Amino acid sequence: MTNVLKTAPLLALALLLTASTAHAQYGDTGTTTVSVTIGPQAGLTITNSSTPLTAGGSNFNLFSGSTGLTYFVRTTTTGGGGSITLKVTSDFSPSGGPSVASPLTPADALSYTCIVASPGTACTGTQTASTSSQTNLASFGTNVHTTSSGSTASVDWTLANDPSYRTGTYNATITFTISAS
Amino acid sequence: MLCLGLLKLGVALLLVPTCCRAQNTTTQSLQADIVPLGALFTQSTPVTLTKSNTNFNSFVGTLTLSYRARTSQWWGQGAITLKATTDFAPAGGPSIANPPSQGDTFTYTCGGATLGASCSGTQTVSTTAATNVVTIGASACTGGGAPCSSANPNTANVSFTLTDDPNYKTGSYSATLTWTISAS
Repeated sequence: MTNVLKTAPLLALALLLTASTAHAQYGDTGTTTVSVTIGPQAGLTITNSSTPLTAGGSNFNLFSGSTGLTYFVRTTTTGGGGSITLKVTSDFSPSGGPSVASPLTPADALSYTCIVASPGTACTGTQTASTSSQTNLASFGTNVHTTSSGSTASVDWTLANDPSYRTGTYNATITFTISAS
Repeated sequence: MLCLGLLKLGVALLLVPTCCRAQNTTTQSLQADIVPLGALFTQSTPVTLTKSNTNFNSFVGTLTLSYRARTSQWWGQGAITLKATTDFAPAGGPSIANPPSQGDTFTYTCGGATLGASCSGTQTVSTTAATNVVTIGASACTGGGAPCSSANPNTANVSFTLTDDPNYKTGSYSATLTWTISAS
């Protein structure tokens, strides 16, 4: 009986120690550095898939239409900049109608004006579209950026309505380019 | 007289081998406490997040995590978790705690754990809470084949995705992720 009384506390202590060891948690940690370099960047999407040019009234009023776009831009904090330009990459076809590269008369131009939301700056005055060179739509300064939902811009087109054009439907392709540095 | 001397010598020779055969035996107990353990190999190589083209796609990067673990039988368990202990710096770029836009996230997916189960779905890295990477069940152990894993160390892949927000200013940004492994 005396032996039992002596060993019982020891047994209890042993059980406690065993339980403590069994439920102990062991762990370890490590670290990783994640790095990313954010560079200048730009992108755009055309809002309307096609831009019909229409002439109001029955006289030889000008054809007009508008192309909308959403742009995203981020320019470098120091010395950065950027632009949106456009170029007629496929002239009106079929032949016999309007033409950007070879208009029937010198006055038969495809021209446009620009509307650009901040942070871009719109082109000034009336621009003449070209098949051979990029023409300006918007420009960006240093250290500017849009929100994650982008900013808007639009091009308001004007096309001469020359009586010499043959009747029919004519299509041209305009390519927009945005750049940032 | 001579016979008596030879007799004594004989007795002495007989006694010598007898005394040299004396042996002593003792025992010693060896005890090893096999406790649950978890160990991580510190990832010394930084994870560089990159993008494949120039549009505003997300930045991505992958890291292979190496670890060893042993969990107790029946009720044991283990886990590897992740927490951002230092947010992206300097300011002006991405941020885990205070992203410039609501949709900006720093997320990860897990796969290929050779011990335990990889996290499921897309997890969001947090600066305030540890998030799951690998969950390890009872009676799991690293290396040596069944009932342990054949791989030693064990590995798991973690793929990160960071939103590319136009709001970020250009520059280089870094954050520190802390991995924790635990076992019981």
